[in-house]
Amino acid sequence: MDPHQLPPSHSIKRWLLTTNHKDVGILYLVTSLYFLIVGGVLALLFRLQLAGPGLNILSPPAFNQAVTIHGLVMVLFVVSPLAFALANYIVPLQIGARDLAFPRLNALSYWLYLFGGLLVVISFFQDRTLDVGWTLYQPLSSAFSPYVGVNTGGLGLALLTASVTVSTVNFVVTIFRSRAKGLRLTALPMFTIGILLTVLMMLYAFPALLAGIILLASDRILGTVYFTSPQGGAILWDHIFWFFGHPEVYIVLFPALGVFGDVLVTFSRRPLFARRIIIAAMVVVATLSFLVWGHHMFLTGMHPDVRRAFTVTTIAISLPFDAIILSFIYTLAKARIELRTPMLFVLGSIAIFIIGGITGVFLGSIALDYVLRGTYFVVAHFHYTMAGGALVGLIAGVYYWYPKMTGRMFSEKLGRLQFVLTMIGFNMLYFPLFLSWEMPRRVPLYIEKLMPLQQIATIGGFIFATSFLVMFWNLLYSLRYGEPAGKNPWGAHTLEWMTESPPPPHNFDGTPTFADGRLSFIAANGAAHGEPETHLSPWPFMLSLASFVALLGLTTHILISVAGVGLLAFSVLGFAGERFVSREEALGERWPFEHVDRMKLAWWTFISSEVVLFGVILSAYVYVRTASATWPAPGTLLDISHGAMNTFILLTSSLTVVLALASSRVGNRVGTVGFLAATLFLGTLFLFNKYNEWSELFSHGITFSSSLPASTFFLTTGIHGAHVFAGLLALAYLLARALRGAYIGKGHETLEYFGYYWHFVDIVWVFIFPLFYLV
Amino acid sequence: MVATTVDIFTSLWSIFSTLGVLVGVVVMSYMVYLIVKNRAKPEKPEPEDTPRPGELPREQKGAKKLLISVVLSASIVITLISLTFIALDNLDRPPADALEVKVVAFQWGWKFIYPNGYESVGELRIPRGTAVKLYVTSQDVFHNIGIIDLRLKVDAIPGKTNIGWTRVYETGVYDIRCFELCGDGHGVMIGKLIVMDPGEFNSWYSSLQVS
Repeated sequence: MDPHQLPPSHSIKRWLLTTNHKDVGILYLVTSLYFLIVGGVLALLFRLQLAGPGLNILSPPAFNQAVTIHGLVMVLFVVSPLAFALANYIVPLQIGARDLAFPRLNALSYWLYLFGGLLVVISFFQDRTLDVGWTLYQPLSSAFSPYVGVNTGGLGLALLTASVTVSTVNFVVTIFRSRAKGLRLTALPMFTIGILLTVLMMLYAFPALLAGIILLASDRILGTVYFTSPQGGAILWDHIFWFFGHPEVYIVLFPALGVFGDVLVTFSRRPLFARRIIIAAMVVVATLSFLVWGHHMFLTGMHPDVRRAFTVTTIAISLPFDAIILSFIYTLAKARIELRTPMLFVLGSIAIFIIGGITGVFLGSIALDYVLRGTYFVVAHFHYTMAGGALVGLIAGVYYWYPKMTGRMFSEKLGRLQFVLTMIGFNMLYFPLFLSWEMPRRVPLYIEKLMPLQQIATIGGFIFATSFLVMFWNLLYSLRYGEPAGKNPWGAHTLEWMTESPPPPHNFDGTPTFADGRLSFIAANGAAHGEPETHLSPWPFMLSLASFVALLGLTTHILISVAGVGLLAFSVLGFAGERFVSREEALGERWPFEHVDRMKLAWWTFISSEVVLFGVILSAYVYVRTASATWPAPGTLLDISHGAMNTFILLTSSLTVVLALASSRVGNRVGTVGFLAATLFLGTLFLFNKYNEWSELFSHGITFSSSLPASTFFLTTGIHGAHVFAGLLALAYLLARALRGAYIGKGHETLEYFGYYWHFVDIVWVFIFPLFYLV
Repeated sequence: MVATTVDIFTSLWSIFSTLGVLVGVVVMSYMVYLIVKNRAKPEKPEPEDTPRPGELPREQKGAKKLLISVVLSASIVITLISLTFIALDNLDRPPADALEVKVVAFQWGWKFIYPNGYESVGELRIPRGTAVKLYVTSQDVFHNIGIIDLRLKVDAIPGKTNIGWTRVYETGVYDIRCFELCGDGHGVMIGKLIVMDPGEFNSWYSSLQVS
């Protein structure tokens, strides 16, 4: 098999091994539509239950599971992945790149996403999957839901966060480093801008979710008491979850805003109104999104001043949205509007989103939120924004780029039919829910007088579902029988339309450049020179499969996990050892990272997300400690000398890493090997010391579940220790390669990147030591 | 009569819904107007500034128009927020003469503890016209006590006590429901609030046998 050639698209091998962004985009698209069916069928099930006030189609536990998995699947496994299906396919084309910066990591993101989703699906067939609401409120989901399926589903979410982190790093580096010459950040097409801001939000929001899942899993499996103790409990979870959860709302929405921008320009035949203000407003929203989470907690008894502050930020965030939506509408003035299917969906989606936005202001008002919280008004509001604004907006994107992806036009007639069904079904489904604002969410039974509203909603739900069947039929039918699309069927101006439909594997014949203000192609494509680039790798699939097996074993049989870990080790080595060629274009627009190479940028991006992970874990510690009336004095629970010794060891190891790098730079082989070995030794010593410390504590009867001081200590240092351990594995690999002569003279960048990680882990310890041992 | 939680909510709700519907209708009508007016017709030429294939994006200038629109919506929103803060002040200031009842939520029901120590499960009796102040907590998971007809809702969180109050001027029976998913029995976690004639309430309350 030639790894530089893609096998034909009807071979299974192609789809298992491909790393090409367009193939990965198609995989994301198909998978997210599959999960749309999963989430949709669950919704239809509980809509049937709600067709009458006292029906018994779903038992209460079944109802709770359906509601929970519907929410999680739709938010995390449908809408965002659908956006990333488009992003995978379209962003490299829009910026004039041959592929994403790290094609293998891109494939890895996809497979982690798929296997994470499979864990969630499998949890259905175990004893009860997640039944605690997609918000996983505490302590219901820690101490009061002892079902194995909850663990499996939670591990599925953990795998998804891994997928998101990997793809986030990839898109950040790609959009910053792989733009065609002359394509400044502000000149990017709106969809790419939407994706860039989305991944930047993801980068700092998802580690909070991961931290939350780690704490929750630790409570459930190891018996720590973060959420089962009243000092942590419900409120701690609220803070962590909504610090992730509110940015997540915009993470879901922003790709659709990008679609709006591109589609509006194309079909109104006019430039976007106040384009730069829209971009600025989106940047403001993305920033503010991390400062509004408290509005999900207005009733929890937070301090009145804090509550007021969150009200102000929440209301403030509505103003940039005003600017964005109004600019979209003003774009239509003096336009020549072509009402083709993508445009219809965009206009419909904007109209729906306006209703969602206005009702959002209701919920931002604390006095109204007091009453509306936990009711169907909230359900209606977020479906108007996330299902109507985001999902329907992305469907516009699917239609818009379908000709580019397939080379064929879809049926306009069926597209319009779907649009009509979507608008009728959607509004019949969700508008009555605003009017059901006296009814609590997530209840299978309700009072008689709400029956007409709920029945209209159920009928609307089935019409909405039917509209998707029309879409599936349209997409499949047109694949075969659609008219040939040609390069640019819509007469659009952005770069993705300046190549064949579908584009060749290398995207453009010639290198696109905007250096003189207009698109031109430099004849010699970079791919033509030197070693051909690789397009196939088995390892992304293998790595993800191995992680899946390892995690599945945790809730089924531990031997399965052991096999999974073995497979994982094998796959990591395979991945690391594989020769995979992917070059950056020589020419490109890279501001502000002209002088940061892409690996370095990737590491810094990754480490900045790790900062949030540890930030949340340390904040959780500070939170429970502040909430506790008493806390053991320094030196009573923990032996300061252990901590001090480990601080000394770890700081020394930072020095040895620096020395290893310095030796490698000057070509000193003995020094490189010696200092790497010294680092490995010191790291091992650190863990050995840690092991002794933990054993002493255990021998005194102090365990994970003893108390909050014990729980927080074991968990925080445990996660840190796991990072040290991962570093040691990497070190062992580096050392083995150094012994065979690597990193001498050239390749010392690898040591530099490892150094960043190692220093970061050391710095985290510098925070842990005083916080846990000294104060 | 002193304002009740229902009055406070209702007046605010009507302002929000009036303005909300108004803004929604205006914006959407304008959008539909633009779409209908500017639909592509064969005789209609392309605008002069249509972006051409391969061009970098341009924009329609309009900072002023946008600024006016945003200032307008900002003034609406700021009005709404000021009204909210006024309403909030009233909600956060429970009357001093209130009957104080402790509420303990559990999976799946409500326990009410009166000042004299009497405990009742599922049923809360209060006198008409007197303010009632609820001290709400939970003994297991996160619940939310809601008496939606009285526009009253309080989070019930283990280890924490939150306060809510109301005052009812008519006798009657109201549903108490849980508004936070709390497990299998969430949908049937229903209690009753019984508003009694003050005289009847007093004779009932003084007849209670407290162990």
